[in-house]
Amino acid sequence: MRLTAADRPGVAQPVPIRDIPPQPWRSILAAALLLTLVALGGWEWRMRTLGLEPGDLGDDASAWAEQRRRIDTGNVPIVIVGDSRILFDTDLARFQALTGVRPVQLALAGTNARPFLEDLADSPFAGLVIVGIAELSYFRTQIGLNGEGLQRYRFESPAQRCSLLIYRALSRELAFLDDAFRLSKLARKLVPDLRPEAKRPAAAIPKVLSIGDDRQGWLWTRIERDAARRDDVRAFWAGFAGPKVADDVIAMTLEKTRVAVAKIRARGGDVVFIRPPSARQVQSKEYERLPRVKGWDALLAAAQVQGIHANDEASMQGLAMPEYSHLTRACATVFTDSYVRKLAQMVPRVQLRADAPPALQPADCDALQGAGVIEQRRVRMGGAAALR
Amino acid sequence: MVFNSLTFVGFFAIVLLLHALPLRWTTKKVNLLLASYLFYAAWNPPFVILLWLSTVVDWWAAQRIVNTAAPLQRRAWMLLSVIANLGVLGYFKYGHFLLENFRAAMTAFGIDYQPPSFDIVLPVGISFYTFATMSYTLDVYLRRAAPAKSFLDFALFVTFFPHLVAGPIMRPTELVPQFATPRRATSQQLCFGLALMTLGLFQKVVLADGFLAGPAEVVFDGSKAPGALDAWAATLAFSGQIFCDFAGYSTAAIGAALCLGFALPDNFRFPYAAIGFSDFWRRWHITLSSYLRDYLYIPLGGNRHGEARTYLALMATMLLGGLWHGASWTFVVWGGLHGSYLAIERALRRCFAGYRPSALALFGVGVVTYALVNLAWVFFRADTFGKAWGVLRGMVGANADATPLLPAVDLIAVAAIVGGLVLAHALLRRRTLDVLVARTPAPLLTVLWACMAFAIVIEQGGGNAFIYFQF
Repeated sequence: MRLTAADRPGVAQPVPIRDIPPQPWRSILAAALLLTLVALGGWEWRMRTLGLEPGDLGDDASAWAEQRRRIDTGNVPIVIVGDSRILFDTDLARFQALTGVRPVQLALAGTNARPFLEDLADSPFAGLVIVGIAELSYFRTQIGLNGEGLQRYRFESPAQRCSLLIYRALSRELAFLDDAFRLSKLARKLVPDLRPEAKRPAAAIPKVLSIGDDRQGWLWTRIERDAARRDDVRAFWAGFAGPKVADDVIAMTLEKTRVAVAKIRARGGDVVFIRPPSARQVQSKEYERLPRVKGWDALLAAAQVQGIHANDEASMQGLAMPEYSHLTRACATVFTDSYVRKLAQMVPRVQLRADAPPALQPADCDALQGAGVIEQRRVRMGGAAALR
Repeated sequence: MVFNSLTFVGFFAIVLLLHALPLRWTTKKVNLLLASYLFYAAWNPPFVILLWLSTVVDWWAAQRIVNTAAPLQRRAWMLLSVIANLGVLGYFKYGHFLLENFRAAMTAFGIDYQPPSFDIVLPVGISFYTFATMSYTLDVYLRRAAPAKSFLDFALFVTFFPHLVAGPIMRPTELVPQFATPRRATSQQLCFGLALMTLGLFQKVVLADGFLAGPAEVVFDGSKAPGALDAWAATLAFSGQIFCDFAGYSTAAIGAALCLGFALPDNFRFPYAAIGFSDFWRRWHITLSSYLRDYLYIPLGGNRHGEARTYLALMATMLLGGLWHGASWTFVVWGGLHGSYLAIERALRRCFAGYRPSALALFGVGVVTYALVNLAWVFFRADTFGKAWGVLRGMVGANADATPLLPAVDLIAVAAIVGGLVLAHALLRRRTLDVLVARTPAPLLTVLWACMAFAIVIEQGGGNAFIYFQF
C-alpha cells in the first residue's frame, strides 16, 4: 500500500506518486458525461412539468446585497423592506407605472424587517422607506431565515459576485435551478413524518416564491392552481402556532423602531408601514399571539408613523390568497395599485403620474389573471414593462 | 474562491486550457502562479499581499540560511522566518482571542481593562500557507531539502491553488521538484483527476452540506436541549460532515492537481476505521499530523527522553494542534482530549506489551476509538463550553428539559450516510481508493461517476465554504 507522510517520521517527504487505476478512462469519462447530460435533460423536463420555469432567478444573499448596494449610489428615492408578504404582494412595475419610480425591493422571505430598517437608519439614505410587515415576523428578537444578506452586503468576495452572475445567466435558461427543489430537500419529502413532535425547520418550507429581475417576487403560480401544493403550504403555516409574543419583545421592537424612524427622519427621509392582507384562517392565529392593538397600533403610535393596514381599506378586501398568506400575482398588482394610491394621499414624496393608469379593484384580479401569461413572459425576459 | 462554485468551474476550465497550450514551461508556471494569485484574490484581493509577504520573507530567509555557514546565523535566519510566519498567524488568527483572554485575566485580578475594538479579518487559508512556507525554511535549515532553484518555483510551491487554502499541507521536497520539469497530464491523469474532483465535490456538496450539516446545526446551534437520540445523531452527523467536507476538499485538490499533471499526497486514509488513536492520527489530516510530528513533537524530544518528556511533548503537540484549528478554548480542549487519548493509549500499550488482541478485541477497540473521537468532536463543533456540555449531557440522557429536535428523515439520513461511511472505512482500511477503483468494473464506475455528477448538479450547492477555510 502506498506510504504516506505518517509512515516517514522526521525525514524529507518525497514527491508523491499517484497511480492511475488501469481503466478505459476516456471511454468512462465520455459515457459518464453523456449519462449525466441525459439525466439532467430528463430532470429539467421533469422540473418543468412540476411548474418550475426558466427565468425564476431565485433569491440569495448576493442578489439581496446587489439591490442594497444600489442605495449607496444616492439615486434611490423609495426602498421597501419587510418579509415575504410585501415581497410577493408588491408589483414593482405597477408601482413604477403609477408613480414613475421603481422602488428597490429589499424585503426578504421569512425574515424580520427591523434589522434592515435599522441598517437603513444607520446609512445616509434619506428617501422613503416602506416597511411591509407581518406582525409575528416583525415582533421578535431573531432576524429569521435570510439574515446573511446584510453580511454579504458588507463583504462580498469577487468570486461570490461572479458566481451570482453565472447562476443568474443559467437560471434564465434552466428551470431546475431552484433551491426548493434541490436533491436533499426532495429526498426529505420521500420519508413520512414519523417523528411529528420534532418541529420541521423553517427552511423546510415548500416552494412558494418565484423571483425575477430586481428581486420582483411573486407567489409561485403552481400554488394558484394546484390544490395539493396549496394544502401543503397551508399545513406548513399551521405548524407555526406558538405562544403569545412577550411584552419585553414588544417593548424592544417599539423602541428600536422609534429610534430607527427618528434617525431616518432627521436626515429628511420618511418611513411608512404597510400591513399586507392575510386570510382569516391565518390572521386569527396571528392576532391571538399578538393582538392588533398591542402590535400594529402600538407600533404606529410609538414610532409616530403612518401606516396602511389591509383590513382598513375597502380596495384591499376580497383579494385572493390561495395559501392564506400571500396574494396571487394578479391580486398583488391590485394590492399594489391600492396601496400606492393610498401612499400618494399620505406622503408628499409619492405622487401619481398624470398619465397613471386607472385604479384597479379587487374584481380586476380575474381580468389580470387572464393576462397572466403575458405577465409571466415579461418577468422571464426581465422586463419592467408596466401592465396596461 | 471555493471548488464548489460556478466561478471555479469557469476558472479551472481556463487554467486547464492554458496549461494544455504549447507554451514554454516557464510561461506555464507563470500562468499557474498568476492563476493561483487570482484564485486567492477572488476571496479578498488585498490579502494577496499577505501571501506575497510570506513568500518573500521565507525565500529570502532560506537564501540566507543556505549562504551562511555559521550555525548561530543559520538559526537566526530560521527563527526570523518562524517568528514572521507565526507573528502573522498570531495577529490575524489569535489577535482577538489573546486580547479577550488578557482582558479576562485582568478582570480576575480586579483590573478593568477595555481593549480597543477593531475588526481583524481572518485571511482564508492563512494557517495552511504559513505552515507550508515555514516548512520550506525549516527543511532548508535542517538540511532535509535543497533550496528551490528559482523564486518562481518557490512562489508556485507556496501558492499552487489546489492546496493553497485548505491543504494538503505540502513540504517543499514534495512539490518543488515537480516544477523543475514540464508537466502535463496524460489523458488518463486528466480523466482520473476529474473523477477525483467529482468524488470530492460529491462528498462536500451532497453529503456534507446537503444531508449532514443541517442536523448538526439544529442541535449545536439551536437553543433547545437535546435528548440522547438527537445529541448522538447530531454528533454523528458532524463527524460525517467534517470528514466529507475536509476529505472531499482534499480529494478535489488532489484531482485538480492531477488534471494539471501534478501529484499531491494523501491526506486521509479511512480514519473512522482506526483502531486506536495513533492509528487515527495516521489516517486523519495526515499532512497536518505528520507536520506537527516532524516540526513540533520531535524537536520537543519526541519519545527519546523518557516517558515523562514523551507525554509532555505529546500533550503540547496536541494542544497546539487543537489551537491551530481555531482561536477558542473549545479547540484546545479538543486537542487536549486527543492528547489524553494518545497518552492513555501509550500507557496501556506499555502495560499490556505482550498482549495480542483477537479480531473481536480489535473491533471493540475500533468502536471505542470512534466513540471517543465523536466525544471530542462535540468540543470541536460547539461554539461554547455551555453548548458542548449541553450536547454531552444529552448524549447520556441527562437533559431533563430535552425535546425532540430532529425529524425522522434527518435521523434516517444520518444513520444511512454515517453508517455507510464507517462501513466503507472499515472495508477499505487496508486499501487505497485507487485499488478499489481498479477492481471496479468500468460500466459500474461510469454509472457511479454519472450519478455523483448528476447529484452534485441537482443539489445546487450554495457555494458554502469548506469548514477548514476558517482555520
